[in-house]
Amino acid sequence: MNKTININLGGIYFHIDELAYEKLRRYLDAINTSLSNDPYGKDEIITDIEARISELLSEKIKDDRQVINQHHIDEIIKVMGQPEDYAFDEELFSDKKNTYQTSHSSKKLFRDGDDKILGGVASGLGHYFGIDVIWIRILWLILVFFGGTGFLIYIIFWILVPEAKTTTEKLQMKGEVVNLSNIEKKIKEEFKDVSDRIKGADYSKAKTGAQEIVDTLGKVFATLFMVLGKFIGILIIIIATSVIIGLIAGGFSLGTFEMLGFGSEFAQYPPFFFKSTLPIWLLIVFIFTAIGIPFVFLFMLGIKIISNSAKSMGKTLKLTLLGLWLVAILGLIFSGIEYSTHTAYNGFHTTNHDLPNVITDTLDIKMIGNDEFYDSKSLRKRHGFEVIVDNGVEKLYSSKIKLDFAKSDTETAFVKIRKEAEGNSRNAANEFAEQIEYKFNLTDKKLQLDGYFLSNLENIYQNQEVEITVFLPVNSFIYLDKSTKTYLYDVENTDDIYDDDMIKHYYQMTNEGLKCLDCSEIIKNNDNVNVKIDVDGIDIKVEENGNRSRVKVGENILINNEHWILSI
Amino acid sequence: MNIENTKAQMRKGVLEYCILSVLQHEDAYTNEILSELKDAKMLVVEGTVYPLLTRLKNDGLLSYRWEESTSGPPRKYYGLTETGKLFLKELDLTWNELHEAVTLITNKKSK
Repeated sequence: MNKTININLGGIYFHIDELAYEKLRRYLDAINTSLSNDPYGKDEIITDIEARISELLSEKIKDDRQVINQHHIDEIIKVMGQPEDYAFDEELFSDKKNTYQTSHSSKKLFRDGDDKILGGVASGLGHYFGIDVIWIRILWLILVFFGGTGFLIYIIFWILVPEAKTTTEKLQMKGEVVNLSNIEKKIKEEFKDVSDRIKGADYSKAKTGAQEIVDTLGKVFATLFMVLGKFIGILIIIIATSVIIGLIAGGFSLGTFEMLGFGSEFAQYPPFFFKSTLPIWLLIVFIFTAIGIPFVFLFMLGIKIISNSAKSMGKTLKLTLLGLWLVAILGLIFSGIEYSTHTAYNGFHTTNHDLPNVITDTLDIKMIGNDEFYDSKSLRKRHGFEVIVDNGVEKLYSSKIKLDFAKSDTETAFVKIRKEAEGNSRNAANEFAEQIEYKFNLTDKKLQLDGYFLSNLENIYQNQEVEITVFLPVNSFIYLDKSTKTYLYDVENTDDIYDDDMIKHYYQMTNEGLKCLDCSEIIKNNDNVNVKIDVDGIDIKVEENGNRSRVKVGENILINNEHWILSI
Repeated sequence: MNIENTKAQMRKGVLEYCILSVLQHEDAYTNEILSELKDAKMLVVEGTVYPLLTRLKNDGLLSYRWEESTSGPPRKYYGLTETGKLFLKELDLTWNELHEAVTLITNKKSK
């Protein structure tokens, strides 16, 4: 069922159904537009065309009561030709050379009332120059803020440029070809718009002037936020791009680790990679993917923020990227778990070695290095490791050694060497521990302990360390060489001397631990006063305002080198 | 290059001449002009003719008069003006020259 409309076309009366009427009206509209280059003859031509159409329709209508439907109109259009056919001749027969003009005049400057914040000037200009309206608006804002000329120009444009009201004008505004299909499309869009507006009609009618001002202000702020959003979008793009470029530039070179502050060994044998069952290149690809893909998405997000018209990635591409990312993450999780379990168990290996003849003489305890592997002068306890070459074989060199002293319950002295390591099973850990190469030697009255140990390169990152405990019978004497300084670890002694202060002194083993024989006690009251009590007596140094005083009291000595004389 | 477009251009180029020729002997109303052109396959769609008729009239080559019709509203009858007749003679000459020229060239090509 369809409504019919009565029309007078070329002086004849027709019944025409609603849809057919719309179609016919659009057709005539379009012709009107096509002929707009020829304003003089236009009306006359239209009249002629209408007359002809009515003539053609009359031929088709057998009965006065018959209604014209869309089918009839289609036939008419077939005979008469598309609107473009009308325009064509104008160019061909016109004396003026307006070919250039027409191609240009197909796009006209109008204000766009459908996309306006104030008067739709910006959107109109945007359509005219074929750029996104946001840039025009940004330009307006800049011009408004710098001298306010933008405001004036805007007002002038608002007054001078007409608003695009008809379908044809709207098409011309956007530079779309004015033909039937475009007009039809446009009208459908507008119809939808209008119906939307009607739904909210009560509100719009109730708007007061004040409300409109508020609305306008709101829109201005919305625009400002939009501009801000675009800046954020640009920022996102810049960040994402630089990260991706950075990844590409640095991703394939493990030297990046060094740049990040890790040691060269770390770069050469990155722990995460070295201990993985997955090949190193795959892990690198995984890391690259896991970091890179989110930034690719971020990049696309930035693009979308900046330009509404930007195409988003295809669904397939999106899912593929997401899938790749998940695979990479899973791979990394797997390697992570593998890596974290490779030191899950502790293992150790202990050996005892007797030290004969210790009780009779003072035992000199010394740590020695090996110049072949490492400069002996810098021998000290370190937590890391180095890769060195031992007889043509690459080995791990480490100096993570703890040295301690304890009372031996027997009459003999001995050294207990406890090698420790970690592994992904108890057995593996024990095995790693056993594979540690550690040596010491006892000559005459010297105990020379290696200040380092070696292990197989394959056993890298197993946290190997060596604990040496020298068991001494009561009343035996030792001297701690300065080389032991960094290795001493929580050595029990009767005077509670810190490990660092223990070197270069003689000790005797007592039941309570080592007893220092030649240590001085330093009492430091404050920055200026220094009191030292030892076997030689009492030594007091005072320093104040650059003046120094010293009083030393010995068994029979009284030294006074400054102002005071101290009586005993 | 669209062949249909080219064909249409060629046809439209001589359409003016054809319309004047149709009206050479007797006046005709639009429908008659159209059917004659269509019969000769000079025309595909009618729309093309209307702007042309108006232009020829505005240029003083054609004139029209209204005539009552038995089957509907009055019809527009077009006829040649004196200027139009002279114009047509000129075009006749030009067309013959053109025809000869084209024949000569296309024949040469086919040899």
